[in-house]
Amino acid sequence: MTIRLDDFTVQFDQGFQLSHINWQIEPGQHWVITGTNGAGKSALSAVLAGAGDRLSGSIDNLPERVGVVSFEAQAELIAAELKKDDADILDVISEGTPVREIIFDDCANPETACDLIARFELDYLLDRAFRKLSTGESRKVILIRALASNPDLLVLDEVFEGLDAATLSMLEQYLPTLANRVTMVMVLNRFDQIPEFISHVAYVEHGELLHQVRRNDEKSYAELYQLLHLKTTHLDVPPIDPDTEIPQLDSQQPLVRLNGISIKYGDFTLLDKLDWCIEANQHWQLSGPNGSGKTALLSLITGDHPQCYVNDIVVFGYQRGNGESIWQIKQFIGYVSTALQWEYRVGTSLRNVIISGFYDSIGLYSKCTDKQRQIADQWLALLGMRGRSDQPFNKLSYGDQRLLLIARAMVKHPPLLILDEPCLGLDDMNRQLVLALIEKICAGSETSVIYVNHHPEDCIKGIDNYLALK
Amino acid sequence: MSNNYFNSLPLRVQLAELGKCRFMHISEFPDGVAALKGKKMVVIGCGAQGLNQGLNLRDSGLDVSYTLRQAAIDEQRQSWKSATENGFTVGTYEELIPTADVVLNLTPDKQHTSVVNAVMPLMKNGACLSYSHGFNIVEEGMKVRDDLTVIMVAPKCPGSEVRAEYVRGFGVPTLIAVHEDNDPNGEGLTLAKAYAFGTGGHKAGVLMSSFIAEVKSDLMGEQTILCGMLQTGSLLCYDKMIEEGVDAGYASKLIQFGWETVTEALKYGGVTNMLDRLSNPAKIKAFDLAEELKGIMRSLYNKHQDDIMTGNFSSTMMADWANDDKELLGWRADTAETPFEKMPAGDMEISEQEYFDNGILMIAMVKAGVELAFETMTAAGIIPDSAYYESLHETPLIANTIARKKLYEMNATISDTAEYGCYLFNHACVPLLADFMKGIKSDVIGRGLSVDDNGVDNARLIEVNAALRSHPVEEIGATLRGHMADMKKIV
Repeated sequence: MTIRLDDFTVQFDQGFQLSHINWQIEPGQHWVITGTNGAGKSALSAVLAGAGDRLSGSIDNLPERVGVVSFEAQAELIAAELKKDDADILDVISEGTPVREIIFDDCANPETACDLIARFELDYLLDRAFRKLSTGESRKVILIRALASNPDLLVLDEVFEGLDAATLSMLEQYLPTLANRVTMVMVLNRFDQIPEFISHVAYVEHGELLHQVRRNDEKSYAELYQLLHLKTTHLDVPPIDPDTEIPQLDSQQPLVRLNGISIKYGDFTLLDKLDWCIEANQHWQLSGPNGSGKTALLSLITGDHPQCYVNDIVVFGYQRGNGESIWQIKQFIGYVSTALQWEYRVGTSLRNVIISGFYDSIGLYSKCTDKQRQIADQWLALLGMRGRSDQPFNKLSYGDQRLLLIARAMVKHPPLLILDEPCLGLDDMNRQLVLALIEKICAGSETSVIYVNHHPEDCIKGIDNYLALK
Repeated sequence: MSNNYFNSLPLRVQLAELGKCRFMHISEFPDGVAALKGKKMVVIGCGAQGLNQGLNLRDSGLDVSYTLRQAAIDEQRQSWKSATENGFTVGTYEELIPTADVVLNLTPDKQHTSVVNAVMPLMKNGACLSYSHGFNIVEEGMKVRDDLTVIMVAPKCPGSEVRAEYVRGFGVPTLIAVHEDNDPNGEGLTLAKAYAFGTGGHKAGVLMSSFIAEVKSDLMGEQTILCGMLQTGSLLCYDKMIEEGVDAGYASKLIQFGWETVTEALKYGGVTNMLDRLSNPAKIKAFDLAEELKGIMRSLYNKHQDDIMTGNFSSTMMADWANDDKELLGWRADTAETPFEKMPAGDMEISEQEYFDNGILMIAMVKAGVELAFETMTAAGIIPDSAYYESLHETPLIANTIARKKLYEMNATISDTAEYGCYLFNHACVPLLADFMKGIKSDVIGRGLSVDDNGVDNARLIEVNAALRSHPVEEIGATLRGHMADMKKIV
């Protein structure tokens, strides 16, 4: 049956609206929804799973079983797991729900689930707590859950993001095998990732469905691609705050020196006797498959990993474990990651999120200066969010939140900037903006960058040191 | 049997100690962790409090290690794994206690006597022993060696939150105290302040209190409003809804998540805000029900406070401890068998506002419980600041555990003293409210008021609003939440 949206207007709880959508998805069609960050791509795909409150118009023939994979769905499940831990009173350490339960509870098609677990090689994860998985690992679990639910419609919102190269190509081969059984609607930020079986592309802007293009209409297809490649404006990085002093470092000494470091959980060894030295003004790219320990390695440097105290680590002149406080270390580091974004569940203003970068806190707990407010507003202007300083952070789209967190990390011009998959979940235009920003930071001499990503095409001019984990 | 320390004191001292509780300004912590710098801190126990406090203290630049009983080490129990995986040194009492400058006793109350008796002979001369709850000193009369300094540092949140807030760059409200009988060098307060700073507590607000005020108010709060009232209310409200023909899944869900939802409003704006979330007719209804409940339950609240003050409560509980927790474990098993506990929450959607509209009686119970606990504590000489933290402030935290996995979970995870108190309260309160419950219909629990319009009498509404806003718990609440808001902009 044809899914039919007629002059459909729908509201979401953040006040966001999709307006007057006219759209038909016929049996046998497969759609990609594209557009800029915050345009309503995810919202439009979520409508197919019943999200939002109808204001006017109609939506008909929605299938009963809809499988959904999205960052929102992933974040929701993780938030639910974290909440279980938050609620834990007094003296019990919650282990969290094991992956096996997440996948197999209410599973319509356990055979498919088992088959996918084998294809993804996830057997080793089944008994681990879901919330302890890495970003990429938990993404695969969500994917298996949706694929194994016997859906009539699959909604795949940025499904390729956060997967390592091996998993990505496996999935790219697997999805076409579903194409003649299940209707698929994908949200994709990259044109170059649109699979062959996709028959139509929808372009969303400001909550409206502006263009619908057949895949085989080459001219319109190319124009749509152009539209997404709007030129970015000239970038000028806002100045440093003269009152927020980061102590001078000895430029002859490396920023970071890891000597034969290891990370072990019980009998399981994640990293074994690794050496890594980062000199001032060196830029590094760190890569490796999901679960290879990239984030754990970085958190040894930031001090967020408890085993930083049992390894030989010198950061910014401090030999770890000699009475230094974690805030003395963090003042030298700017940090962005998906996990940080999930942690940043606070209803504070955009301006305060940027200012919190001066204090290395999540949320703002200190009185800030006028100068800091001014610098924050300059960063917002740079990101195309001028005049939105007082809006709440948690109402921003996923991609806009990321841009803001990068500004937060850079606001103090730290000697070391760590970008853990900074482009995850961003559309083409914002990805270009972010990459241009990172190139600019690399070109200046004051900040060294560690850049983690999966995509070889996201390479950055100026980065010429590489560390690959296995 | 042990000697009750509180009862050994003259009335003058008892009153002075009960009245101690002062909110400390962040400017009173200029020296940070300096007093503990380079000293060896050894934590006994690696549960949620032990582990998370230790992680914070280490990240603040302090030297932290863990001591466990030989058996826990040999069998590589969870506590051993937690400490080891987090990169801490772990050793037996004999190995680590003699090297310690500060020993942090973060074991459950019930183990305190045996733990302290085991470690005290091993502690070096002039060292410091720290508690996070004063029961062992105040109720069991533990005599600590004269040369040792005894302090208390008690974060007023679950261990997981103690860590999460620190990592964000903030902290949780923390109560500190010095045991006056054991402060030979006069350094107790300095050490307690440095310790609170190391856990991040200074950023969220430190309350300077006494062992006695902490114990007598903590016991009262946890057994009446916090656990007792929510337990009793859950069982009575559920049974009433079933009797009235409300769908069982709906009734189960309304209660399991209702406490959390309505007390969230309490956390932000006190009892006033919680009732302001109701329509005017519903607000007046809730107010009247709460007044009636207060009338019925006041004697029970008084009895609990009296038993806590005389030591009768703790001696009864210790007798059950000595009897292998027979009463308590039997009751815990009974709770698991109640209809509310056995009925899973339905999968219907209940909006945030609906929890208020259809849970008028639950709101009345929270109001009555909070106000009674506060009134009873302050009448017994506990000052309003303490009484506020031990009643209103902690209610949402407990409501949270019910939302997670209902009453059995709440009782299994709260402290042993809280659970025993809850048991006593529930036993007395259910029959006490039997007649009251006969007059209750589903309009105040389960379905919401069925009124044609929301009109109310002006004079009556003004009267109710004034009574709500002028209650003493609201006055102190506004002041203390003001302190918090100054520092924690994001709340």
